[in-house]
Amino acid sequence: MSTLPFPRRLATLLLEAAISIAPHEALDWGHAMLGELRHVEGNWSALFWSLGGAGVLAKHALVALVFPAANRSALPSGGDLFSKEAPMRKATLGITAACVLASLLFFLAPVFRQAFRVSLAQWHDVLHVQAPFTEQSDAVLKDLLRKAEQNHDAEALAFVALRTWDRSESARLADEAVRLDPKLTWVYAAAGTFYLPGPDTGRVSALAQWDPENALPHLIVAERVDIDEVEREKIPHSVDEEPAAWRDAMATAFQSSKLDTYLDRQKELDRRVLARYHVEDPFQAVAYENWYGLPSYASWDSSRYAEWLLKSGAALEARVDRKAALGKYLAVARFGEMMGLDHGFFMRDELKEAYTRLGALSQLEGKKEEAALYAELAGQLDRAREERLASWRNSYRGSDVSHWNAFLVRLSGLLLLFFGSLLALCVIGLVIRSRSMKLTSLRPSGLTLALAFSSAIGALLSSAVLFVSYWPYSHVLQRFVSAGDESGLSELSNFLGNSQLPLGAGLRVGSWYVGVSEVVFYFWFGVTILCALAVAIAILRHFQTRPRTTAA
Amino acid sequence: MKAPRLSPQTLRVLETFVARPTAWRYGYDLSRETALKSGTLYPILMRLAKYGLLETKWVATEDGVPPRHTYRLTAKGAELARAQQPAARPSLRARRAALSGGRT
Repeated sequence: MSTLPFPRRLATLLLEAAISIAPHEALDWGHAMLGELRHVEGNWSALFWSLGGAGVLAKHALVALVFPAANRSALPSGGDLFSKEAPMRKATLGITAACVLASLLFFLAPVFRQAFRVSLAQWHDVLHVQAPFTEQSDAVLKDLLRKAEQNHDAEALAFVALRTWDRSESARLADEAVRLDPKLTWVYAAAGTFYLPGPDTGRVSALAQWDPENALPHLIVAERVDIDEVEREKIPHSVDEEPAAWRDAMATAFQSSKLDTYLDRQKELDRRVLARYHVEDPFQAVAYENWYGLPSYASWDSSRYAEWLLKSGAALEARVDRKAALGKYLAVARFGEMMGLDHGFFMRDELKEAYTRLGALSQLEGKKEEAALYAELAGQLDRAREERLASWRNSYRGSDVSHWNAFLVRLSGLLLLFFGSLLALCVIGLVIRSRSMKLTSLRPSGLTLALAFSSAIGALLSSAVLFVSYWPYSHVLQRFVSAGDESGLSELSNFLGNSQLPLGAGLRVGSWYVGVSEVVFYFWFGVTILCALAVAIAILRHFQTRPRTTAA
Repeated sequence: MKAPRLSPQTLRVLETFVARPTAWRYGYDLSRETALKSGTLYPILMRLAKYGLLETKWVATEDGVPPRHTYRLTAKGAELARAQQPAARPSLRARRAALSGGRT
């Protein structure tokens, strides 16, 4: 055995494996094919002989599995003698049709359509098409905008403005929304912070007038100055080098009594518009789930300005002007607390320093209770930071459940496409071979029938798994839209984030990490190899079947 | 009896058997003579045997070598095969004539 060439050994193994799964009535035939294998001339011919035989035995095994011997027909008579067992064929066709129908019925359910769309998100990277969010901008948002303009619906206009990538269009829609309903002036903040702000056309000033206590408009102004400086390649190295406009904006921001990012208003607006226009798109519901609502430079600007205030305070302290120094430290502490742990993550060191210096000043003035309070607040920062980091890590990784559900949704969506394509190929092949569209004249071969049957069963199972895996998330979305319940939004966000990765991405095998670009590369590499293989087989078959001319 | 529907591949196998009706044939030899692959040939042989048109026999060739399965048409199979020979089948022209009431 071991002296046999590899193809012949493989051929023997293949047939032996097929015999091991063959039903009782096909065993003799399996051994017959195996017996002949020894006499087949040529190693590769032997392998092809084995492949054909194994296919026959596998088909019998599948038929025996689906139709137990007791249910299979006995000898047919007359005209059906060689047309395979008619009752079995009818039953197979019946089951196939029922499975296809059941799979199609799934599409009638809105939840399933949502799930199917989510399962397609993994293809965006592979096929280099737009991300789901921008794709929505093209289709759903255009439709929504048309309805919003017809109805003069300020909230829907604001909803579209917040999701439109075109800055001038976003600004136009925001202006229209505010004109219709001045209570929506906060949209200027969201539109101005989420996208790169354009030239100031009075929108930020309008926002500052509308909500004068809020620090956010001043942070947006500071960011505009930053961007202007970067564009002019005049990047300041310290706060002292910053333009006066920047320092004024930051000073006003630090003196403001509140910092409202309007995220709550945004979520509430989203919810109302999603419900009013029946937009059943989970990606829209979690659009702002992982966004802090501050301009990109806000944390860095705040951190730099706080550091500058602390230095100024130290200088004042050195001049024994404790009262002025206290004012500077208190401004840092108050703004740091206002930003909270999420926004003030980058200001943590400055905030801690401010508490430490405030504690030292209180000690100097003999206020022991105040000094102890500042020391406690400084200590709390470290603990809160650790807790927040752990929470972020968990939130970033997501739970195992959302990981597995995203995997199942991606896999079942992929299989559904595969089985659907296989089924379509079977039907097209059958119509071409029969040269007719009439159902009565379509006579599928055993292989076509087996493929169609397996595809139909596969499509039904994939549909069921897709539906069941996505079901909990449709409830989360429904609860958020109908009742404003945000309890599952974080989980939904993790699930959707994982669903957008192509299947296989994110795997870690030892030190080898499979990234999105690797999956995309291997996918197209595989497709190229398969195409090349198909062309090679077609050419080989062409030359094998071409009638040979004999030499004269 | 209504004429059974036979595929071109089955006809080719029957024609090969009819050439030497009493001889026992090996699967690989049949495959070469009919130019049919194992995946096509064996389902035909299995069906012919199932309907009693083909008899099968195991033949030991030499020591240490697995026996080979051999095949031969039964009397019923030979009758069917002969009935399917081109000479025994009405020509297309004759069939058309019969269908159009004798007009050709």
